[in-house]
Amino acid sequence: MINICTKRVAALCQFAACLMLALLALSSCSRRDGSHRLAVKGGGAMDSTLVIAMLGDADYLNPLLGSTVTSSNIIGLIYPSLLQSEFDTTTGLMNYMALEKKLREVTPAQGKKDPKGALAKSWQMSKDQQTITYILRNDVFWNDGKRVVSGDFKFSYQLYGSPAIASTRQQYLAELIGADKGKVDFDRAILTPDDTTLVFKFYKPVPEHLALFHTSLTPLPSHQWKNVKLDEFRHSPLNLEPLGAGPYRLKSWQQQQEIVLASSRSSNLPKPGTIPQITFRVVPDYTVRLAQLQTGAVDVVEGIKPEDFSALLKANRQIEIKTVGLRVYDYVGWSNIDQNEYHKSGKVRPHPLFGSARVRLALTEAIDREAIIDGYLKEYGVICNTDISPSLKWACNERLVPHPFDPARATSLLKAEGWLPGPDGILQKQGRKFSFSLYTNAGNQRRNYASVIIQQNLRSIGIDCKLEVQESNVFFENLQQRKLDAWLAGWSIGLEIDPLDVWGSDLNKSRFNFTGYQNPRIDALCELAKQKMDPTGARAYWLEYQEILHRDQPITFLYWMKETQGFSRRIEGEELNISGTFYNIDDWRLRPSANVAL
Amino acid sequence: MLIYILKRLLIAVPLIFGVLTLTFFITRLAPGDPAAFFIQPGISPNVAEQIRAQYGLNDPVPIQYVKWLANVLQGDFGRSFSRAQQPVFDVIAQALPITVTIAGLTLIANFTFGILVGIVSAVRQNTFLDRFLTVTALFFYSMPEFWFALMMIILFALKFPLFPASGLNEIGAEGSSPIEFVLDRLWHLVLPVTVLSINGAAGIARYVRGSMLEVIRQDYIRTARAKGLPENRVIFKHALRNALLPVITLMGSSLPFIFSGALFIEVIFAFPGMGRVTVDAIFARDYPLIIANTFVSGSLIVLGNLFADVLYAVADPRIKL
Repeated sequence: MINICTKRVAALCQFAACLMLALLALSSCSRRDGSHRLAVKGGGAMDSTLVIAMLGDADYLNPLLGSTVTSSNIIGLIYPSLLQSEFDTTTGLMNYMALEKKLREVTPAQGKKDPKGALAKSWQMSKDQQTITYILRNDVFWNDGKRVVSGDFKFSYQLYGSPAIASTRQQYLAELIGADKGKVDFDRAILTPDDTTLVFKFYKPVPEHLALFHTSLTPLPSHQWKNVKLDEFRHSPLNLEPLGAGPYRLKSWQQQQEIVLASSRSSNLPKPGTIPQITFRVVPDYTVRLAQLQTGAVDVVEGIKPEDFSALLKANRQIEIKTVGLRVYDYVGWSNIDQNEYHKSGKVRPHPLFGSARVRLALTEAIDREAIIDGYLKEYGVICNTDISPSLKWACNERLVPHPFDPARATSLLKAEGWLPGPDGILQKQGRKFSFSLYTNAGNQRRNYASVIIQQNLRSIGIDCKLEVQESNVFFENLQQRKLDAWLAGWSIGLEIDPLDVWGSDLNKSRFNFTGYQNPRIDALCELAKQKMDPTGARAYWLEYQEILHRDQPITFLYWMKETQGFSRRIEGEELNISGTFYNIDDWRLRPSANVAL
Repeated sequence: MLIYILKRLLIAVPLIFGVLTLTFFITRLAPGDPAAFFIQPGISPNVAEQIRAQYGLNDPVPIQYVKWLANVLQGDFGRSFSRAQQPVFDVIAQALPITVTIAGLTLIANFTFGILVGIVSAVRQNTFLDRFLTVTALFFYSMPEFWFALMMIILFALKFPLFPASGLNEIGAEGSSPIEFVLDRLWHLVLPVTVLSINGAAGIARYVRGSMLEVIRQDYIRTARAKGLPENRVIFKHALRNALLPVITLMGSSLPFIFSGALFIEVIFAFPGMGRVTVDAIFARDYPLIIANTFVSGSLIVLGNLFADVLYAVADPRIKL
C-alpha cells in the first residue's frame, strides 16, 4: 500500500516539476531574443552597464510622439539635436550652442556643455528677427549610414504640424509663416536650398532665444519614414526600431520592463557614449526602487523623499544624494470667482469666501508654511512667493518679503472683511459660515502632510476646512472645469517664462487659470515681456508682475522643492542641471567594481 | 455531459456580451478623460482634441457603442490608447506569459502545501501540531500581500541579500547560457511566488482541514479502519478523495487568477503582468484595453466555473450533469 502511495506521490511530484519547467520555458521564450544578446556577461555586466530605475516605461521612442519623462530622456540620447542647450545657473537664462556659435558667451563656471553634440555649425538671425538660417554639419550620419540633411528637418516639421499625428510639440510651430492663419505654409516657412542649409521664416519678429528654442525640434530620418501613412504613424513598427545619430542606440526594449541602450560606435554627436551600456529599468514601487539603490542593483533613482535620506545613506555609504532645482512648487488654490454663477450665466462675480484679496492674504498668513517645510521637506524646500522661481535669477524679484505666519493679523484682516466668530467658534458673515473642502489628488504623501497642517492652522483662526482626496484623473478634470472651491496642487515651471495660460483674464482661453483670477495689468505685462527681443529687457515687467501676484494672492504659494536624486558613487563626471538629471549622461563614467568598497 | 457543456457555453455568450456592454458604458460615463495627459501648459489645446478624434471619442456614446459593437463582432477589440496604439490583444499577449508563469507556480505550491497542511491538521486534530498549524495558517491568511512582500524584500533582499528585490532577470542575463538564464529567472521568482503561495496555501489548508474532519467522521471511514486497513490507505485513498471535492471549486475559481494576475505582487516586484496592465489601463482611461481585459477575465470566470462543475462529475460519480 505504502508503495502505491509513494509511487503516486512521486508521479505527482514529477508532473508538478514538468509543469513548472514548462511554465518557466514559456515565460523565458516569450522574452528571449538571440539578436538582442548582450555583449557583456554575468558579473562583468554591471561594470559596463549603468542602471537607472524609472517609475514608468517610455510611451514612444519617437521624438514626435514621446511624451513621458522616460521617453524624453532616451530620445535625447538616441537622436541628433540641432543645438545643445544649457541652463546657466548664475543668471537663470537658457543658453543655446551650435558647433561654432553660442547665444551667450559664458565662462566655464557658467556652462560645461560640449557644443560638439550640436548638428548645426552656426546660425544667423535676420535683422528683422523673422528669419533664422542654420548651417548644418555635413559629417553626421544616421545609424544606417545615410547623411543627416536639412530635408530631414523639413520633413519632420511637416509631421510635427500634422493634426493626424497630434504631436504634443506642435506649439513650437506657432510662429512659422501661416500659423497666424491657422495652417503653417511649409513651402514658405521652411526652406532647404541645399543639404546643409536650413531656413525658418516667421510671420512676426521672434526673439532669438525663442526662435532657437522653437526651431531645434528633434528630426526623424526622412528616408525611413517617408512611406509611412499618417494614419499609421502612431502604430508603425518603425516606432520600435528608432534610427538615430546620437551617442547611444537602442539595443533592446522589453516593454514595461527595461530599455537597453548601447554606445553608438559611429556617433560623432559629440562621440560614442562613454559608458558602454545604459539600462533603464521600470520599477513602479518606490520602496523597491529605494531597496534596489541600497543593494546596488540600480545606480540612479530619482525623486527620493527627504525622510528616507538618513536611513539610505547609513545603509550604504556608496550612495550620495544630489539636488537640483527649483522648478516645482505646491500651492493652495482658492477659487477667486463664484464658479456656480460663472457656469450658469457666464458672469464673473467674486467667490463668497475667497473673492477678496484681503481674505486670501489672511489665509496665506494663517498657514504656517515654514512648519510644512521643517516637518517634511527640511533643507530641500524654500518658501514660495510667486511662480517665478528663484533659480531664474534674471527675473526673480528678490525684494519680495514672504508673508509671515501671523494668525493674529490673519484674524484681524478677516474681521475687517466682516468675518466674525459664530457661537460654534467658526467665522461667519451674513449667516454664512467660513467652511469649505480642500481637495487634493490621491497618493501624494507630501500634499497629505501639508493639507493636515493647513487644516489645523485654519481651524485655529475659526475656519472649518474639510480634507477631500480624489483620484488624480478626476481631480484634474474637476480643476479644469473649475468645479472646486479650494485645492492643493502643484506646478512644474518651464524655463522660458510664459504664465498667461495660468493667469490670463480671458477665462475661455486661459485653460489653466483654475482660480478665475483676472487682472488686466498682468495680461499687459505678459504681452509686453513677450515683445522684448532680449529676455533680460523684460526684467522690469516680471518684477512688477511678481509684486502684483504677491499683493493679490490669487493662490497661496507654499514652497519650492528641490528635486532629490540618489546616485551610486561609482558614477563619475555627472553634472546635474535644472534642465534635466541626465543632461550630460553621455559624459558619465563608471568606476570598475573592484574599486568600490562597500 | 457534452450537451451540458455546450449548453453552458451558449448561455455564456450573452452573459459575457452583457458584461462587456456594461463595462463599455461604465468606463465611458465615469469621470476622467483619456486625453487628459495632453492637457498641459506648453501643449497646444488642439492636441487633446486631435487625440480624442483619433480615438473616436468625439461621437456621442450610443454611436461609439454601435461602432464598437461592429468591430467586436468582427473580432477587433481595437488598439490601446495608452500603449503606443498596439492592438489590445498584443498587449495582453505580452503580459500573459509572465502572469501565467507566476500564477501557475503559485497554484502548484498553493495546492501542494495547502492540502498537505490541511490533512496533517485534520488527522492530528486538537494536538499541539494542529493548533500551531491553524494559528500559523490564520496568521499568514490574514496578512496583506503587499505588506508581506515588502517585509520579505527587506528581510531577504536587504538584510540578508539572498534574492533580488525585483525584475525578472539580472542585468546581462540574456547573454548567459539557457540553463543559467532559467536558473536566474527561478531565482527572481522565489520571493514573489513564496509570498503568493504562503498566503494562498494558508486558505486552502483551512478548507481541506474542515472538509477532511467532516469526512473522517463518516461511517465508511470507520468501516475501512474496522476491516483493518492501514491508516495511510484510509486517509489517502478513502478520506482524501472525498475531502477534496470542495477544493475542486477552489481550483475552478483559481483559473481567472492565473490569467488576471496579482496586482500588488506585480507592482512591487516590477513584473509587467496582467494585473499591472489592467490597473494601468484603468488609471489611463484606456477604454479598449479595459474592455479586452474584462473580456479575458469574464470568459475565464465562466470557463472556470464550468471546469469546476465538470470536475465534480468526474470526481464524484453521484453527480450527473
